[in-house]
Amino acid sequence: MFAQWVQSHRDLPLLVNQWANVTRWEMRTRPFIRTLEFLWQEGHTAHATKQEAEEEALQMIEVYRTFAVDQAAIPVVVGRKSKLETFAGAVHTYTIEAMMGDRKALQAGTSHNLGQNFARAFETKFTDENGASQYVWQTSWGMSTRMIGGIIMTHGDDRGLILPPKVAPIQVVIVPIWKSSEEKESVLGGALAVEKSLKAASIRVKLDASEQKTPGWKFNHWEMKGVPLRVEIGPRDITSGSVVTVRRDFSGKASKEFGVSLAGLDVHIRKRLEEIQDNLLARALTFQDENIVDVESYLELKAAVSEGKWGRGHWAGSDLDEVTVKEETGATIRCFPFNQPEASKPCFMTGKSANEVAIFAKSY
Amino acid sequence: MATEVAGELNDALKIDKSATPDMVHAEQKHKKEKKVKENEKSKKATKAKMEAKSAGAKDSKKDTGLGLTVKKKENFGEWYSEVVVQAELIEYYDISGCYILRPWSYAIWESIKDFFDAEIKRIGVENAYFPMFVSQKALTQEKNHIEGFAPEVAWVTKSGDTELELPIAIRPTSETVMYPIFAKWIRGHRDLPLKLNQWCNIVRWEFKHPTPFIRSREFLWQEGHTAFASKSEADEEVLTILEFYRRIYEELLAVPVIKGIKSEVEKFAGGLYTTTVEAYIPTTGRGVQGGTSHCLGQNFAEMFDISFEDEKGERKKVWQNSWGLTTRTIGVMVMIHGDDKGLVLPPRVAPVQVIVIPVPYKDIDSNALFGACTHTSELLRKAGLRVKEDTRDNYSPGWKYSHWELKGVPLRIEIGPRDLTNKQVRVVRRDNFAKEDVPLSDLVSRVTDLLEDIQSSLLEKARKERDSCIVTVNTWDEFVAALNDKKMVLAPWCNEVEVEEDVKARTKGENGAAKTLCMPLEQNDLPEGSTCFASGKPAKKWALWGRSY
Repeated sequence: MFAQWVQSHRDLPLLVNQWANVTRWEMRTRPFIRTLEFLWQEGHTAHATKQEAEEEALQMIEVYRTFAVDQAAIPVVVGRKSKLETFAGAVHTYTIEAMMGDRKALQAGTSHNLGQNFARAFETKFTDENGASQYVWQTSWGMSTRMIGGIIMTHGDDRGLILPPKVAPIQVVIVPIWKSSEEKESVLGGALAVEKSLKAASIRVKLDASEQKTPGWKFNHWEMKGVPLRVEIGPRDITSGSVVTVRRDFSGKASKEFGVSLAGLDVHIRKRLEEIQDNLLARALTFQDENIVDVESYLELKAAVSEGKWGRGHWAGSDLDEVTVKEETGATIRCFPFNQPEASKPCFMTGKSANEVAIFAKSY
Repeated sequence: MATEVAGELNDALKIDKSATPDMVHAEQKHKKEKKVKENEKSKKATKAKMEAKSAGAKDSKKDTGLGLTVKKKENFGEWYSEVVVQAELIEYYDISGCYILRPWSYAIWESIKDFFDAEIKRIGVENAYFPMFVSQKALTQEKNHIEGFAPEVAWVTKSGDTELELPIAIRPTSETVMYPIFAKWIRGHRDLPLKLNQWCNIVRWEFKHPTPFIRSREFLWQEGHTAFASKSEADEEVLTILEFYRRIYEELLAVPVIKGIKSEVEKFAGGLYTTTVEAYIPTTGRGVQGGTSHCLGQNFAEMFDISFEDEKGERKKVWQNSWGLTTRTIGVMVMIHGDDKGLVLPPRVAPVQVIVIPVPYKDIDSNALFGACTHTSELLRKAGLRVKEDTRDNYSPGWKYSHWELKGVPLRIEIGPRDLTNKQVRVVRRDNFAKEDVPLSDLVSRVTDLLEDIQSSLLEKARKERDSCIVTVNTWDEFVAALNDKKMVLAPWCNEVEVEEDVKARTKGENGAAKTLCMPLEQNDLPEGSTCFASGKPAKKWALWGRSY
């Protein structure tokens, strides 16, 4: 269709996106990560010059990176795929690679510079400013519901989900606690007031006032569902004009804050949510840093991978070498990160001079 | 030949002033080669000869940018096919009955989606996403339902080169996908009401003549599925949703609709009763179902064993609704408002509400001119309007006027040298072509008022025309006469299945059989002793009849 819509340089750039469902008949499925049908967005663009296409591809991987880091609190390594791992038909594939809780890598979004490959295949040409006929330069980029799997596996713990406040459907759950029916009226009243004030502050809040479940059951339930912050209100809190807050990202005593005043509660909670968001990211970043090992020999890489870690080392190996590593260790090149060290070093496998490091890891 | 020449001439209008004859020639040659290729491609398209023919004719006209070649009243079918392609709403596809929704139409769907999504969230409905694949077992669980849909279900029988052990169906609608899960999720009365919706695509392998937006093999929609403890709750929601549908048509798309209940023949297969909003296309004299809100009763609850323990501890079956609205909405809007110059878009859904076009003149200071355009656009944008400037220097103002009229933009602002001097702009309405000069000081308020006026005028005009197309009859002869006059017929009816089937059989002709469109919710009193226009039996209700899409 692009071939029909693009005739002159004035029709460029053509920038199209669709939110759609996709089917891929996978052998081994895993919820969110690899499913027969999934939801995604796929962007497809056509440009007049090689440079514009490259800029677009890089711009979009940056958008994905920003989402992962700022919204999903997932620190990702951004880089370029190896030739073997590059999308069939693309010149370059850029990726954001996330480290899951089990330290396996998850490819969380990709952006491809397709060069003129598809243009040649479909005869997508345009007349440039000089009247010459040229093939367009294309990109495509996609991010899917797999990202939800990434969020689950990066932050979750043994009590269940932990959702970063920025993406949590419910950011704060209010659990009122009472024993007698006299207590109920005042506690419920207080809880409703808190709900109202938080809603007014545009916080996504839910009041769980159902009487069929105990407070303890509710604590477990909403922790399982990953709600970042819990507000508890009991009769004593009503008397003292305060509430108790409990953070999902900490456990035990460290997670509780007593006597949080009702005055300015929304501001206080907003601050807590920001802290939780920052903490989740920082924690994940520390975890990632602890589990990427710099390697200088194939032996070291094998050791790192067998410990479940990612290996980062200078690489100038051939496609065959890359396949060998996969067969022998199960690790693949996740990417050549954009963030590269200054000096060249010998490739850890072949010994040839290598000016880039690559990151190897087992992956989903 | 003449068309070729005309084509080239008009190509020349579009080309750079800086282009040399060689460049022009090269571009024209290139375009011709492309045209030949495109014509070959379109001829290979499977069914729909009409599509290929009109695509061929369109290709030569496409380059002229002069607009439509067919008049709406003279050849509605061709006019519609032309307009949806020329206005860049739709692209034909090499699988018959499937169409590409280009950004211009997708943006309209997004407007509808935003409105409806906000309204249903307000009443506590949550969005979810269920798989598009259905097992044969699940699909056939509700017998009436599957009978209704069976002929149109598409099946996946292979993956790669391997035959699947059990073929898998693609959802024609998701009742059978979702309800087995409802059975799992609903245990006690506290699990109710359950209110879910999904925005997704649907496949129905239609055999009826496909028409962009109106009837296609894959389409986009929303489908709401809700479960209640009581019938009264279900009944209430059916009407709440129906009202949202009415608002989409009347408030967003400026299309008048009639709320009604479907007959037993026309209702949803497997449901209890179906309510609908019915629109009408005067040019073809055909009714078109705009959206349906069904009460499914307890039928599916019986089939899928969806039960709950009520407050007294008794086991009861739930009461369910389902309701859906599709991209057909866009087709209806195109058919109602479009004219011989192309689309006419209601401002509330127009992706671009105001197009600003500079009208340069020989010695004019083009910086000042473009500056004025930018300034005007920014003022309007700040006021929340969707504005675009067309400053391309390879198209004449005249070409741009035609182009954006074709695309249906509600308001055009022209800025020329005189306007610069007088600190004004010239505003032209798409719906009635009325022109006026508006001082810059008054710009935002006048443009806003004009857009509101266009929105309400479009609805009023459509309503008047629709109302004049409804004929009230009492006898069979009157009925047939009105039908042949391309009217909608309001007639007293005995509300019996056999009678409706009989009417269908008797009116089957080249224009298609007439059927009940609905029994309007607003019913006038039936005079005593009224008899059914078709059977002579005692009349029970007024029913709206007509030919339909």
